[in-house]
Amino acid sequence: MSPQAARLFIPLIAFMMATPAIATAHAQDRPRQRPAPARQQPPRSRSIQIGGYAMAGNFSFAAKDSFDAILGKSSGPIFGGGARVGLPFGGLFVDLGAWRFRDEGERVFVLNNEVFPLNIPTKITVTPIELSVGWRFRIRRVQKLIPYVAGGFTTMKYQETADFNTPAEDVDENFSGSHLLGGAEYKITRWLGVAGEGTWTTVPDAIEESGVSKAFNENDLGGVSFRFKITIGR
Amino acid sequence: MSLSSPPRHAVRSAAVVALVALWTGTSHSQINQSPRSRAVVQEIGLPAIDRGLHDQDPPRDARTSGNIAHATASGEALPYVRGSIIVKFKNDATRGAVSAATAQVAGAIEDRSSSADFDIVDIPMDADPEVAAAALRERVDVEYAQPRYLNHAMARPNDTLYPNQWNFPAIDMERAWDIQPGASTDIIVAVLDSGMAFRSSTVRYNSRFGFRLTPNGPTFPALGLVDIPFAAAPELGASGSSRFVSPRDFIWNDDLPLDLDGHGTHVAGTIGQVTNNNSGTAGMAYNVRLMPVKVIQGLWDEIFGSPFEGTDDVVARGIRYAADNGAKVINLSIGREDGGPATAVIDAMRYAIGRGCFIAVASGNTRTDGNAANRLAQPAPDIEGMVAVGAVGRTLDIAFYSTTGPYLELSAPGGDQRQGGLQAGILQQTVDPDFLETYLRPVSQYGPPRADIFSYEFFQGTSMATPHVSGFAALLMQQGLTSPAVIEAAMKQFATDHGTPGKDDLYGFGLINPRATLRGLGLAR
Repeated sequence: MSPQAARLFIPLIAFMMATPAIATAHAQDRPRQRPAPARQQPPRSRSIQIGGYAMAGNFSFAAKDSFDAILGKSSGPIFGGGARVGLPFGGLFVDLGAWRFRDEGERVFVLNNEVFPLNIPTKITVTPIELSVGWRFRIRRVQKLIPYVAGGFTTMKYQETADFNTPAEDVDENFSGSHLLGGAEYKITRWLGVAGEGTWTTVPDAIEESGVSKAFNENDLGGVSFRFKITIGR
Repeated sequence: MSLSSPPRHAVRSAAVVALVALWTGTSHSQINQSPRSRAVVQEIGLPAIDRGLHDQDPPRDARTSGNIAHATASGEALPYVRGSIIVKFKNDATRGAVSAATAQVAGAIEDRSSSADFDIVDIPMDADPEVAAAALRERVDVEYAQPRYLNHAMARPNDTLYPNQWNFPAIDMERAWDIQPGASTDIIVAVLDSGMAFRSSTVRYNSRFGFRLTPNGPTFPALGLVDIPFAAAPELGASGSSRFVSPRDFIWNDDLPLDLDGHGTHVAGTIGQVTNNNSGTAGMAYNVRLMPVKVIQGLWDEIFGSPFEGTDDVVARGIRYAADNGAKVINLSIGREDGGPATAVIDAMRYAIGRGCFIAVASGNTRTDGNAANRLAQPAPDIEGMVAVGAVGRTLDIAFYSTTGPYLELSAPGGDQRQGGLQAGILQQTVDPDFLETYLRPVSQYGPPRADIFSYEFFQGTSMATPHVSGFAALLMQQGLTSPAVIEAAMKQFATDHGTPGKDDLYGFGLINPRATLRGLGLAR
């Protein structure tokens, strides 16, 4: 892990670890309640739980002007999947996921922030791998709905190729960043669920080398996304 | 502004006859047999003759105001035309004010010429045009006034032959053509020059007076009526084909801008020589259409007594004509170092750019001869959509002749035959100088020229560098950049820096890089 990535990652982990403690502190403020019947307690796992998911969503890049210049838009669909491991410590979980954004546009010339297309087809592929640590909250009254928050480390593979490029002119690089996410999963059955989540990703100092990203002073390959997931597992 | 005045031809003819009468003496009766004009004798001529590569001739110097030859009675030359000046009156100038202004210089306004937004004011032949123009500039009703400075070509003559064209690989053209193969017929490039070998015909000229090329040189006799054969340069396109559009001759004031010099044909070749035809040489933007616009004299035009010379007003009219007739790129491998600012030309350039024309102008060939700036190129930094072009040699170092200065914006291959000999020039097909420049022979062998015989010649000069930029602009237009200002900005941004980092006086922003410019920018690289 690069020092820069570590700088971003460590506070996020600290934040995520502190989240259950905050929730506990709030609980102490409430009037003491009578213990609920055992059958009404949400299930508390004492073992490792493994699940997986497939996801689809939409990613809006922070480098809005740069992507808009090349692709004619700054957001687009993403597809991916991953695995989640619930740890035997309350709602703590670890998630490893990946997705892909791919679109085609054309190379351009930029003058005074005005974009002039040059009719040279170009293809951009963004493939992040996200390692997240988070907490799943159990709500007694709505046991099928499980909110969660997480944060973690992102490694983002950026590929850009265009007609007439030499191999040396193609871009195929990996950059490091971090992300925060929050969402809720709804359990349709014990093993099958759906989830919706929002993410914020930052991958600083990634793309401001010499392309339009330099012209627009945009170097962050991150952005925000909304994802819909189908989950399998407890 | 157009006010009635004595016919210009009458004044000029009188002046010429007077000069000739003073100098030629006994031949006086012969030279007045025919009017000062030319006539097409046959619409077609013999097929062009291609004499192939000339690679054994000694190199010739790039042209400057100092070394350009003039066919005059004395062999001497002034940087301007006597007897008239260019004046642009303000739109709100009254007739009375105009009369007062012309009276101040003892002048009279000629009928306004086509493609001109200024007037020619005839002044006494013995009046100093610079003094007269300066006097008129002081008047509040005059926008500008200047002498009719003479312009000249920026170089001299000196696909089987593509291996000899080092200039294209030097700027990565082979990969640039992969991206944009030669533009298309949608793009018209106007070549404002000494004319172009664009059609076959036989034209009758009248060589009415003898001349000297230098004050102490031999006197060449009048030839009388001569029929000169012309042919289209085989590597430019077929005579009468759609390759050539809207030809215009502002030197002879007709639609036959035939090349009696070879310079314009060579320049046109670098822009649009027919390419990938298993023959001859290649051109930058080989699919464009060419607009031949003749605005400077060759020596033969002088010898035959063309009614106009390559003065600023003629160049300005040529620029306006090109812009009004569909040109998208204007190549000016011409200019002058003598005299003051070329106000009329600059005004026309702004007009053309406003109509979507990109303009490339040679920076000049005076680096070893005082480094005087080309007056036509000097305002380039202040005009978006016009670039001043310097030359580099085969080593990509600045050419020995290439004029330097803060107005220089881009560099392109122009050849440097001091570093590399004859073949370090720029090779293109043009009118064979062996048959054209008969005035370089001894007087006993002097005779009429032929303009239907062609050869491949290595020329050097910023004249040769400039068409690289014009062709490059045509490629960019085809690729999607249509604004002259954007084209200039793109060329500068992607130029390969040479010399001092950043813009400098020797290379401007650097050597043109067509491939990088045509590729433009990706997102990250």
